[in-house]
Amino acid sequence: MASRPLRADVSARRLSIVVALVAAMVITLFGRLYYVQLLDPHKPVQTAGSLHDGTIVVPAPRGEIVDARGNVLVGNTSQQVLTVSRDVLQALPDGGTAVLGKLSALLGTTPAQLSKEITPCSPKVPAPCWTGEPYTPVPVATNAPISVVLAVSEHREQFPGVELHTVTLPSYPGGTMAAHVLGYTGSVNATDEKANKALTDSDTVGRTGLEAQYDSVLRGIDGTQVVQLNPQGSVVGQGDDVLPVQGDTLVTSIDANVQRLAEQSLAQQIHDSRAKGMKATSGAVVVLDPQTGRVIAAASYPTYDPQLFVGGISNTAYAALTDPGANDPLLSRAIAGQYAPGSTFKLITSSSLVTHHEISLTGTYPCPGSLSIDGRVKTNFDSESFGSAMSLRQALGYSCDTFFYAPAAREYYTDQAKIALGKKASEYLQQTAAAFGVGRAPQIDLPAGEQASGSFADRETRMARWTANRAQYCADAKHGFPDEPNSAQRAYLTALATENCTDGWRYRAGDNADMAIGQGETTVSPLQLALAYSAMVNGGKMWEPTLGWAVVDGAGKVVRSINPKVHSTVPVSPKLFDYIADSLSFKLGWQVSGAFAYLNSPYRNEIGGKTGTAEVFGHQDTSWLATWGPVSRTPQGDIRARFVVVGMVEQAGTGARAAGPMLKRIWDGLLGAKGSPVIAGSRPATTLPQIAPQVRVATTNGSGGAPLAPREPVGPPEAPTYPPRTGGRR
Amino acid sequence: MTLLARDPRAPFSLTPTLLPFERGKPRLDRALAGAALALALIGAVLVWAATRDIARANGSNPQGYLYRHLVNIVIASALMLGASRLDARLLRLFGPIVYVGSLLGLLAVFVVGTTVNGAHAWIRLGGGVELQPSEFMKLGMIVGMAVLFVQRARARENAGYDDPTPRTSDVLLVLVLVSVPLLLVMVQPDLGSAMVLGFAALGVLVAAGVKARWTAGLLILAVVVAVLAVKGGLLADYQLARFSSFTHPNHDVQGAAYNVTQAHIAIANGGLFGTGLFHGPQTNGGFVPEQQTDFVFSVAGEEFGLLGGTVIIALFAVLCWRGLRIAFAAGRTGRLVAVGVVCWIAFQAFQNIGMNLGLMPVTGLPLPFVSYGGSSMFAQGLAIGLLQAVHRRA
Repeated sequence: MASRPLRADVSARRLSIVVALVAAMVITLFGRLYYVQLLDPHKPVQTAGSLHDGTIVVPAPRGEIVDARGNVLVGNTSQQVLTVSRDVLQALPDGGTAVLGKLSALLGTTPAQLSKEITPCSPKVPAPCWTGEPYTPVPVATNAPISVVLAVSEHREQFPGVELHTVTLPSYPGGTMAAHVLGYTGSVNATDEKANKALTDSDTVGRTGLEAQYDSVLRGIDGTQVVQLNPQGSVVGQGDDVLPVQGDTLVTSIDANVQRLAEQSLAQQIHDSRAKGMKATSGAVVVLDPQTGRVIAAASYPTYDPQLFVGGISNTAYAALTDPGANDPLLSRAIAGQYAPGSTFKLITSSSLVTHHEISLTGTYPCPGSLSIDGRVKTNFDSESFGSAMSLRQALGYSCDTFFYAPAAREYYTDQAKIALGKKASEYLQQTAAAFGVGRAPQIDLPAGEQASGSFADRETRMARWTANRAQYCADAKHGFPDEPNSAQRAYLTALATENCTDGWRYRAGDNADMAIGQGETTVSPLQLALAYSAMVNGGKMWEPTLGWAVVDGAGKVVRSINPKVHSTVPVSPKLFDYIADSLSFKLGWQVSGAFAYLNSPYRNEIGGKTGTAEVFGHQDTSWLATWGPVSRTPQGDIRARFVVVGMVEQAGTGARAAGPMLKRIWDGLLGAKGSPVIAGSRPATTLPQIAPQVRVATTNGSGGAPLAPREPVGPPEAPTYPPRTGGRR
Repeated sequence: MTLLARDPRAPFSLTPTLLPFERGKPRLDRALAGAALALALIGAVLVWAATRDIARANGSNPQGYLYRHLVNIVIASALMLGASRLDARLLRLFGPIVYVGSLLGLLAVFVVGTTVNGAHAWIRLGGGVELQPSEFMKLGMIVGMAVLFVQRARARENAGYDDPTPRTSDVLLVLVLVSVPLLLVMVQPDLGSAMVLGFAALGVLVAAGVKARWTAGLLILAVVVAVLAVKGGLLADYQLARFSSFTHPNHDVQGAAYNVTQAHIAIANGGLFGTGLFHGPQTNGGFVPEQQTDFVFSVAGEEFGLLGGTVIIALFAVLCWRGLRIAFAAGRTGRLVAVGVVCWIAFQAFQNIGMNLGLMPVTGLPLPFVSYGGSSMFAQGLAIGLLQAVHRRA
C-alpha cells in the first residue's frame, strides 16, 4: 500500500489548479490596490472632519379660527408627549435595558415591545418600529397620563434619554359647534407631502371646511432643531434651533352666539318634529348678512365632533361616522346639501313671470284646486281651492301652486312654438333661476367639493342626459328592478325607466310647472336660497359669500382682508322685489303662510318670510322657510333687511310646521324678543375684533422643556362660554 | 511515503499504542506560523488605530480593543499549538466533533439568536463573549470532507479496488455533508460565510480528484442558483447591495454603500506610504463603520498606504504558499485538509480585501487573523494548527 499511495501525478495536477486560483486572487488584489491608491484619476474626496447635520422638525401650532367677535372657534391645546432617544440609551452601560424596563412598567407595556417601537425601521426590522429619522427622539406616549409625566419629570436621573415634550394640537372650545364650517384636520399623508414639499410627517393639515380652505394661512412655519451627527448617525452636538411660527389667525364672520342659537334651535326642532311623529332626519339653518354677503351662521344636523380627528381618527370612530345609519353627519347640509325648495322658489318664479310680462302686478289670476296640464292633473297643497281670482300678492301669501302652473305651462307652449319655427326657446324661468344662482356653485370660501350648485331642468340638459343614459333606461325598463324589495317602488322605477327610454329627452309643460313651484328636478342648497332672498332685500346683488373675514398675523396685524364679491346683479326691478317682500311680510298675519308661528311675536311687523313644503317621492315633505328682517327702507323706498335666515328640515312636514318655529327661536334671539339679543344691537358685526399678538416662548433645549407654549391658556372644553360682547377681544 | 493511518483495519481504535503528544518531532513550519502571527500583530495595531478615538469619545478604554485582540492572539496561538499535535487518528475524531459541534451551534443560533435583537449569526455567552458558529463550521466542514473521502477510498482499497478516484456515491455523500451547513448559513442569512464554505468545499473536491464533470457541474449549479436567487427575488435589493452586512448586530444606519464609499475614501487617500499610524483622518473620525472588523483593511490602506496594503497581501500570499507546499507534501487526508484550509483563508481574504477595494460585494466577513473578533481568530488558529499537524506527519 505504501508503494502505491495516491495517484500523485493526477492529484498534483489538481493541486496546481488551486495554486493558480490563489495566485490569481493575490495578483488581482495587488493590481486593484495599486490602482486605487496610485493610478485612479478620480479619487474620492475626503469627507473626514465634517460632521453632518440632522434636522428634527418642531411642528408649528396651527393658527386659531375665531368668530366675528374674537371668540375662539378652533384653538390649540398642549399635550405632553414622552420621547425616547435611542442614541442615549445605547450609550448606557446596559444599553438602556434598565430605563426601558422602568418606562415600560409606567406605560403598561413590555420592555421588548418598547424596544421594538424605538428601533428604526429597516428591511430587517419589521413593524412595530420607528419610521422617522434614526436620530430623532421617538414618541412613545402621546397625551401621557399625569402620573407618568410626574414620575418621569421628578426622577429625571433615572430616565436618561427620556424626555417630555409639549406639542400643540387643535382644540374645539365649542365642541361640535360649527363643525361643518370649520372642518376637521388630519395627519399628513404621502399624497400631501408629494403635493407640498414643505410638509412633514409631524404636521397637521386641514382636510375639510375652513381648515382646508385656509390651510396655508393656518399652518404656520415649522421650527427645526438641528443636531450634529457623526458618520454613524449618532447625535454628538446641538446646532441652532429655529422656533416654529404659529399659523395666522383666521377671523370669520361666524357669530358664535348666533351659530349656537341656530344649532340649538335646529336640534330642538328635529326633536320636536320627531315627537310629532315626523321622521325629521336632518336639517340646516343659514344666517346671512344680505348687505355684505357674509355668513353669520351655518348649522347642519346631524353633526360630528371634529375633536375625533385630532391626531388621527380611529377606525371605529370613522366607521361610526360613515355608517349609513348615521345619516352622513360629515355632510354640511347648509352649504353642500341640495334639496327641492318647494314654494320658497316662488321668489324666482314670480320674478321671472313679472319681469317677462307673463303676469302683471295689477292683474288677478285663478287659483283652482287642481289644474290639468299636458294631460296630467296638478293640484294645490291639500287640493285647496280659492274661489275667485287672486293677485300675485295673495298667491304668494297663501302659497297657491295652481296660480303659477298656468303661466309656467303657457311659457312652455310659447317656447315650443318658437322651436317649431326654428327659433331658440327663451326658457325665461330657467334664465331667472340661473340669475339667482341656481345651477352654479356659490363660490363661498370653502373647498369646491363642499358647496352644492343646485339644479333645474331645461330642454338642453334633458336631451343631453337622455342621450347619455338611454341604453340604461331601456335596459332597466326591460328588466324591471328585481333587486328592489318594495313592490310600489319597483313599479314606480320601472314605469319611470319605461318612460325615460322612449321619451326621456322630452321636456314637458308639466316639467316647467313643477319648476315654477320648486319641484321636479329643481334643487338648491339652503345657502343658495339664502343668497337668492338676500338679493331681494339688498337691491338685487348676488353675492359670492364668505365665511372668512380677515387673516391676522402673529403680531396682531391684519394681513389679509377677505371680502365677498358681487357675482352679478339680478335683472329684477327694485319695485318688484319690494312688492314680493311686502306681500310676504309677517305683519299681514294669517294671509302669509309663514307668519303663523310669528303671530304673537313683538317683531312681527319687521320681518317677512316664504314657506316651502317640498314633496320628495318616498319621503315625508321637506319643511322650508326663508325669512328676512328687520326690514327698513332706502330713501328711494326700496326694502332692505339686516339678516336673511333660511331653515330647512327634511321629512318634517309643511314649512309652517317645522321650519317656522325653528326660525322663530332664532329671530327671538337675534332681535331680543326674550331678553337681550344674542348679537349686539341685533346687528352683524361690522368691525374686526382685536386679536392679541401671539406669545412666543423660547425652546428650552434638551431636557424636555416645552418647545412651545400655547398662545393663551385654553380653558377646559366643558366650559365654552360666549357672553355677548360689544367690543373685540381684549 | 508514510500513511497517516497507523492501522487501517482499526481506524477508530481508541487505544493508540503511543500517546498522541509523544509522537513526531516538533517540526513547525516557521514561515507559516510567522506569517499568521505577523498578520495577527499587524491586525492588533490596525484594530487599535480604528478604535482608540471612538472608544475614547464613548468614555471607554481606548486600548480596550487592542488588549482583547492581543488576548485573542494568545488564545489562538495556544489553539494552534494544540491542534498541531493532532495525529491522523485524532483528526478523524476531531473532524466529526468539530463538524457536529458547529452544526449544533448553527442550529442554536436560530433558537437563541432570535431573542437577541438583530443578531442572527451570533450566540451571546454572557460577559461580553460572543460566538459565531459559522467560523468553526468552515473548519468542521473541511476536516469532515477530508475524512469522509479518505475513509471511503481506503475502504475500497481494502476490499481490493485500487482506483482511488472518488465515486459518485462518495461525492453525493460529501455533498450532503457540505449542503447542510451551507443551507443553515444561507438561511441565517450569512451569504459571505456561505461563499467561503462553497469555495473551500470546491477546493477540497478538486484536490480529492473528483471527476472534472462534477466540479464543472457544481460550478454551473452554483451560478444557476445565484442567478435564480437574484431574478426570482429570493434576495431583497438590500441583500444584493450588501449581501450579509446585516449579520452584524450593530444597526447599519446608512447602508453598505456608505461603508464602501468611506472605506474607498480612506484607502484612496493613503497613497504610497500612508498618513502614518494614528494619523488617518477617516479612521480617527470614525467615518468607516465596522472598521475594526470588516473594514480593517481600510485602516492599513489609509495609514500605511500602498506599502502597508502590499505587506498584508504578501503575508497572505506567503501563508497560502506554505499551506499549498504542505498540501503537496502531505498524504491523502492531510492534503485535502490543507487545500481546504488554504482555499478558505485565501478566498476569505480575497473577498474581504476585495470588498474594501470595491471589487467584491459587501458581505460581513472578517479579514483572517487581522480583523478584530474572537471566533474567527480561534477558528483560524485551529486551522493553522491543522496545517502544522499535517506538515509534521508529512
